[in-house]
Amino acid sequence: MNAGMMNGTIAKLALQALLGRRRFYLLLAFPTLLVGLVALVTALVDGDAAFSVLPNLGYPLVLPLVAILAASSVLGPEVDDGSIVYLLSKPVNRYGVAFSKWLVALAATLVTGALPIFVAGLVTGHTTRSTALLVAAAVAGTAYSALFVAISAVTRHAVIASLMFVLIWEGLLGNLFTGVAWLSIGQWGLRVGHEVSDYLPDVVDLPYAVVASLLVTVVAVWFAGDRLRSFSLRGED
Amino acid sequence: MPDHSPSGAGRPGIIHDLGYRRFDGVREGSGAIARTLFATGLRHAYGLGRSGKSKVMPFLLLAMSLLPAAIVVGVVVLTGLDELPVSYADYTNQTQLLVSLFAAAQAPVLFSRDLRHRSIVLYLARPLGATALALVRWLSLTVAVFVFTAVPTAVLFAGAMLAGLDKSDQATSMLKAVTLQVLLAMLVAGLSGLISSVSLRRGFAVVGSVMALIVLTGVVTVMQNIAYFEGDSEAVSTGVGLVSPWSLYTGLANAWDAGIETPVPVDGAWVPAYVIVAALIAAGCLLGLVARFRKVGSL
Repeated sequence: MNAGMMNGTIAKLALQALLGRRRFYLLLAFPTLLVGLVALVTALVDGDAAFSVLPNLGYPLVLPLVAILAASSVLGPEVDDGSIVYLLSKPVNRYGVAFSKWLVALAATLVTGALPIFVAGLVTGHTTRSTALLVAAAVAGTAYSALFVAISAVTRHAVIASLMFVLIWEGLLGNLFTGVAWLSIGQWGLRVGHEVSDYLPDVVDLPYAVVASLLVTVVAVWFAGDRLRSFSLRGED
Repeated sequence: MPDHSPSGAGRPGIIHDLGYRRFDGVREGSGAIARTLFATGLRHAYGLGRSGKSKVMPFLLLAMSLLPAAIVVGVVVLTGLDELPVSYADYTNQTQLLVSLFAAAQAPVLFSRDLRHRSIVLYLARPLGATALALVRWLSLTVAVFVFTAVPTAVLFAGAMLAGLDKSDQATSMLKAVTLQVLLAMLVAGLSGLISSVSLRRGFAVVGSVMALIVLTGVVTVMQNIAYFEGDSEAVSTGVGLVSPWSLYTGLANAWDAGIETPVPVDGAWVPAYVIVAALIAAGCLLGLVARFRKVGSL
């Protein structure tokens, strides 16, 4: 995986798919909502209460949702309406296609997911904690976007499958069983962020969190490319 | 070769009797069309009559929402508790993530596909109009969501009866929960249906519904707790609850003593306010759906 994998044209097309039409407003709605909510609570109550919105709502819900939306925007519609066969009929390296699309999804996740969390944190006046959350969100956002691109390449029900991973596995079961943290991208990010501020939890080991995040990212992007290599178009089910 | 020459003055048009068998059964009206459409929609919401893969998601979610109920029943029966550890209404509230995901995942099946592929035009070529079509679709999804919440309730109730808990207490509590679930199903189906009929790509419809059902509820819960515990404002805490279907459900369940705790008890003038807002949201979604089907259905 290097810069040579990057295909400018495909990245440009993915960016257009992301910014074009209504889905852009949906993508923009999440950060607007988050920053607006935090600013409102800061103004009405205080910064401490407002900051609690971020680890409870912003990080575990808004960040993965933005990542899902970005990942499914760059690959989903093409798989959905079958026009991906035109892209795949071109002599372009499939790993390059997956890598380029993932880069665009990653950029969108960082700009509309991680950055608003940081900005909202600054609004509440907690600079160190906000930086920690930014680091956590950047790590988790990288792995999330790669994983969701991979899921998009596998199934038409990518959005629901990704949502079930985030909401049921990481959310519902993660709150019940602490062991889930070892297989939870969100927790890995928080562990890396813990190095900046003790405010964030440290459930798993730091080396494990870093290696696991890296491994998921690389394997997921490779897997997405591999799926595209042996892509078969199926009808609506 | 049939004669294709135009039927002029001396040639009156004839409908040839080619000897095909005539239909002499009962000709049913639009009522039968609506009933069939409703039943088909309800089956499709659970993937019945569709491919094997489309059955996976609804039944996986249903199984996940049934599992805790089975565990609760087992615990009650084995340890001989004299009441359920969770009320019927609260069970639905605790599994709200699954209910919301079910509605978000299955609403596009009923509302996006016809509009995206414009097969709605074929439906509208039949006597049923766009308004009736929208209402029947909505009813299918409402019943599907209601069944999704009612099945675990039935399992819990059956377990409670088998364990010999007080019959009248359990029946009252169960009936309250079922009534609230009907209201909840109307709201959830209305919102997710409207979103799916506007956003025709499945992925974006799902994310939109998740935003309206799950993210909004998360925001409301956070606001309610902050307003009460940090801001000391009971009115704001209760008032914010008017915004999301799930907080309306929990608020009304709290007001009706159905076994759900909210940060601030819902009472006094808040109760009619909750009822009116819930009715307005349901009606608004229905009007929106009808308008949307009319617009897309017109050629």
